[in-house]
Amino acid sequence: MAEQSEYVTLVSYDGFEYILPRSAACISGTIRRMLDPSSKFSEALTGRCVLENMTGIVLEKVCEYFLYNEKHKDQTNVPDMEIPPELCLELLMAADYLDT
Amino acid sequence: MDNEVPLPPPRRIRHRSPAAHGASTGSGTKTSTSSLRKSRRLSRFDDRSSQPSSDPALFSSDDIPASGLENYHAPVTVGGNGSRKRRYRGTWWGEQVVDPNKRKRAEFKEKRYVDSGVWMGSDESSNAESLMLSSEGDAPGCWGEDLLKTALESRLNGRNQSQTQLRGHGPMPIRAANAAAGAFKAHEESAEHRYAKEVVNDCLEKGNDSVDLGNLHMRSIPSGLLRPLQHLTKLPSVNEAPVSENVFTSLQPFLRIFLSNNSLLELHTELFELIGLKVLSLRNNKLSEIPPTISRLTALQDLNVSVNRLSHLPWELLWLVLQGELKHLIVRPNSFVSIEEAQIAEWHSRSEGKEDDDEEPHNPLQLRENNEGITPAEAWAPIHVATGPTIQLNMEGKPMPDCWITTLATTTTTTNSSNSPSLREVALRAVAKLPALDQVSPADLAEYPALVIPLLQRAKEVRASGGRVCSVCKGDFVIPRSEWVEWWDCTPHENGLKRPRASAEMMRPLPFRRVGCSWACVPDGARSG
Repeated sequence: MAEQSEYVTLVSYDGFEYILPRSAACISGTIRRMLDPSSKFSEALTGRCVLENMTGIVLEKVCEYFLYNEKHKDQTNVPDMEIPPELCLELLMAADYLDT
Repeated sequence: MDNEVPLPPPRRIRHRSPAAHGASTGSGTKTSTSSLRKSRRLSRFDDRSSQPSSDPALFSSDDIPASGLENYHAPVTVGGNGSRKRRYRGTWWGEQVVDPNKRKRAEFKEKRYVDSGVWMGSDESSNAESLMLSSEGDAPGCWGEDLLKTALESRLNGRNQSQTQLRGHGPMPIRAANAAAGAFKAHEESAEHRYAKEVVNDCLEKGNDSVDLGNLHMRSIPSGLLRPLQHLTKLPSVNEAPVSENVFTSLQPFLRIFLSNNSLLELHTELFELIGLKVLSLRNNKLSEIPPTISRLTALQDLNVSVNRLSHLPWELLWLVLQGELKHLIVRPNSFVSIEEAQIAEWHSRSEGKEDDDEEPHNPLQLRENNEGITPAEAWAPIHVATGPTIQLNMEGKPMPDCWITTLATTTTTTNSSNSPSLREVALRAVAKLPALDQVSPADLAEYPALVIPLLQRAKEVRASGGRVCSVCKGDFVIPRSEWVEWWDCTPHENGLKRPRASAEMMRPLPFRRVGCSWACVPDGARSG
């Protein structure tokens, strides 16, 4: 199998694409399993995950969270992430789907 | 001056003029009668000479944004609506606006409904009354209605807010509010609650800072019962003329609340809003848990929670012992987990290094014998005896399937011991900070997707209890991710700090349950190892 790219692409339902480091995206259990090279999923081969149930706005916040998590992984005093109130519920749903 | 608005021609006061009168009669019967009436009316003023004889003068209005002489005619742009100064003709008492595009008086009246900020004693508004309890017995219904009214108002206000803030999730049904209101009305105030209200009211009235609500068989603390007590003020005890030395006592209330011998199953969060509370007795109730919110009672000196159904104490209570004022802690008897039966991950021993290794195994529950006597810290302060195993909780706050990790065998993956919260947690923290959350009724909650309902419920509970703080990293959190039991011996505090520990005394540690906000917030030993 070809060498894995360092970056993966997350695609929202309405076609927005976000490119972020593989390590950050793999915080999510769902995406980690999608990208697992042993699984032979098409996502694992192409490095491109289409998340059918998320709009671009939600996925943007999710990606922000991935990077926020990556950044603060080893810090002790983690500041809160800003989340607009109207996105709270959708993020909860997304969190459930993504298993983070 | 081009832009000067031409003044309308001065209106003439119609004095009684038989000639004009005669002319108008010729035009037609209908108009003639009306003008006749008008002229008659005016003529009556004339007779009383209330109308000046000269031409009426022009006055300008004193509209606030249009102050200043220089823009007497210029349109005012500051006010936003671009209105000119209004001009009045005639006397100030019979003011008539001449300006053709004058504003309607009705609009002006509507504006008057804005709250002036001045509260009059005769005002109908009940906000101030709801702070005080209704006077004894005469109108418990009134009290309920007051509450209902304010609750409804806030509910309606909040509803608009929540609709804007949680938009995109379907309209919130109005009927939920109505149903809740109906339920509130239907709820009959029980006799013991009414009596408790009278007691509280009496204490407020007389400035009595010892509130005895014992032996009332209350199953719950009604909301709004205890809140007025935070405004309790003592009355000076000067009754007769010769003022002796001992009337000069502190008027700072030494608030004591006795809720003993009731049937309380849980505590209302209002109890923990009484920051100045000094003595609290919850003896002989049916409590199965003391909420961690008790840490807000920083002035608490004396706490009695004996004869309840507690299996653990909150770690925050220990914090009150260590950092706060709490000096007398009566917790036994209770159905505490006994240290002999519990799993212990680590024993902590205070006296380090002195003892030889070849000595027979020391009973960790016994203080070591010491010839020089024990140090003051050992004699008085709580001693950390042992730590139970840490339970890791998953992202929904449920125990992990393979949860009983021991001290050093922490899981290996980096995400597990990460300090950063899960996305769920991040979103829930944001939810818990929304002001609209208070207004979401259980009926509304049922309309959300089933996945998020338990999570939102938790966020709501956390918000109602005033937020939870991680005992390790001091951050806010909603869902605990780790919990463990610490065993501390507080014998001197249980004795009311009357007697220090003796040498070689057996310790009787109490279980304090401690929670952390992430898998990195675990006991010290586990973290360093």
